Amino acid sequence: MNHAITCLEARAQLDLLLYGELSFDEEDRVETHLESCPECRAALEREKALHAAFDGVAIDPAPSLLRECRADLAARLSQEERAPKPHIGWWDRFTHMLTGGPGVMLRPMGAMALVALGFFGARITNTGSLAGMSEAGMARVRDVRPASDGRVQITVDETRQRVVSGGLDEQPIRELLMEAIRDPNDPGLRADSVDLLNTRAQSADVRDALVYTLQHDQNHGVRFKAMEGLKAFAHEPEVRSALSETLLSDTDPGIRTQAIDLLIQGSGENVDRQVIGTLQQLMLREENDGVRQRCQRLLASFNASPGIY
Amino acid sequence: MALNSGLQVDEAALIRAAQAGDQDAFEQLVRVYDQSVLRLAMNLLRSPEDARDVYQEAFLRVYRNLDKFRFDCSFHTWLYRIVTNLCLDQMRRRKVRREEPAALTTTEGPLDRLDSVPEQRVDGDPQRHMFSGQVRQKIKEVLEGLTARERMVFELRHYEGHRLKRIGEILGTSEEAAKNCLFRATQKMRAALGDFV
Repeated sequence: MNHAITCLEARAQLDLLLYGELSFDEEDRVETHLESCPECRAALEREKALHAAFDGVAIDPAPSLLRECRADLAARLSQEERAPKPHIGWWDRFTHMLTGGPGVMLRPMGAMALVALGFFGARITNTGSLAGMSEAGMARVRDVRPASDGRVQITVDETRQRVVSGGLDEQPIRELLMEAIRDPNDPGLRADSVDLLNTRAQSADVRDALVYTLQHDQNHGVRFKAMEGLKAFAHEPEVRSALSETLLSDTDPGIRTQAIDLLIQGSGENVDRQVIGTLQQLMLREENDGVRQRCQRLLASFNASPGIY
Repeated sequence: MALNSGLQVDEAALIRAAQAGDQDAFEQLVRVYDQSVLRLAMNLLRSPEDARDVYQEAFLRVYRNLDKFRFDCSFHTWLYRIVTNLCLDQMRRRKVRREEPAALTTTEGPLDRLDSVPEQRVDGDPQRHMFSGQVRQKIKEVLEGLTARERMVFELRHYEGHRLKRIGEILGTSEEAAKNCLFRATQKMRAALGDFV
């Protein structure tokens, strides 16, 4: 049943009417009243004007403020990620249960369990903590850090984050680093990982990873670092091939210049004919004046024409 | 701000991914809400520095406690609970310190931060411009005079467009209490602005 309301009751609800906060029945009663009451209709118009005046003082934050806030937050989150978090692992919980709990009877059992764990644990330590870490889909490398003793500390995201450490000559560590250099989200992580892998570029698998980075990484700084690691192996056929390809396709003139240097290093006057061909191809497409001039001078010094006939 | 079901599904997936440590998912989650969080903080505190602090602290708290979020309420409500608490704390601190948050000290004397904000809906008529300036000044004074909770409810309802039911959830009170708060706020503003509007 829809009973009539007074002017006082109607006016008390005008705000809620404008905000759309009245129930169906309440709204119906107010609108019925408004139809027959010019004073309340005028009050509603004043209420609308008041709301419009409120709108006039609303502040929309400047886009630059939002950008700054986002940048600040990203920096803080990065710090949070890197800060060591107090972590109670399964081992701590286990030993606490055995030694700190109120159940005295548990302790002899706990001691036996520790002996048993020591026996089995001896079979899984050393490589055990790394086993399976780099299997596809199991982990994502979040951070890599060289330690002072020449070892590497790697932070890995699994279902939860954990820290593993090991030497660069340990295969699981190297595999994690090689996974890290393919992380599309964090160029800093890729750069740090490449730096570490560069010290082990004598291994064919590491070299392959660096070649992949040189050819595919989106960040020119990371590509440049990978090239640095390959410097000592520029005579290797797969590295030369990658350098030639980089010379003709990389978007960064600095990297193209470095590729030229590596391709001709140590060759003296007996430069590889394939390199001359690559330089001639480069002359056809190179738009950077510095790279063009360097290329031209080299071709002249090799008594080669600047074009392909 | 009602979210459609598609967005809710995506949001739940984003939350779960962020809980599992996916930074990109967390960033996406931030970007869904951060503009309105900043706007709310800015309008409540009327200070870019304070709004910035609230923005940062709110999302850091979300980041640190996301693993405790159990979908008992909507993420939006949870986030706004954090934001409004931070803003309320700040507003109460100001009351205690008797700060004048909307004023900046300049070589030409105090300058209202609102004056540096471009006016909306004002045409080129100088008389209307002056009148509008007086109204804005008056609104600012009345807003400052509201209690922290009245101010919060008013901001959430009028500027952020939240339903009273949700405002009650955010502020940990009933819809009826939020409605009464809004009523008191608008009544005070109506009384103060009656001659101007």
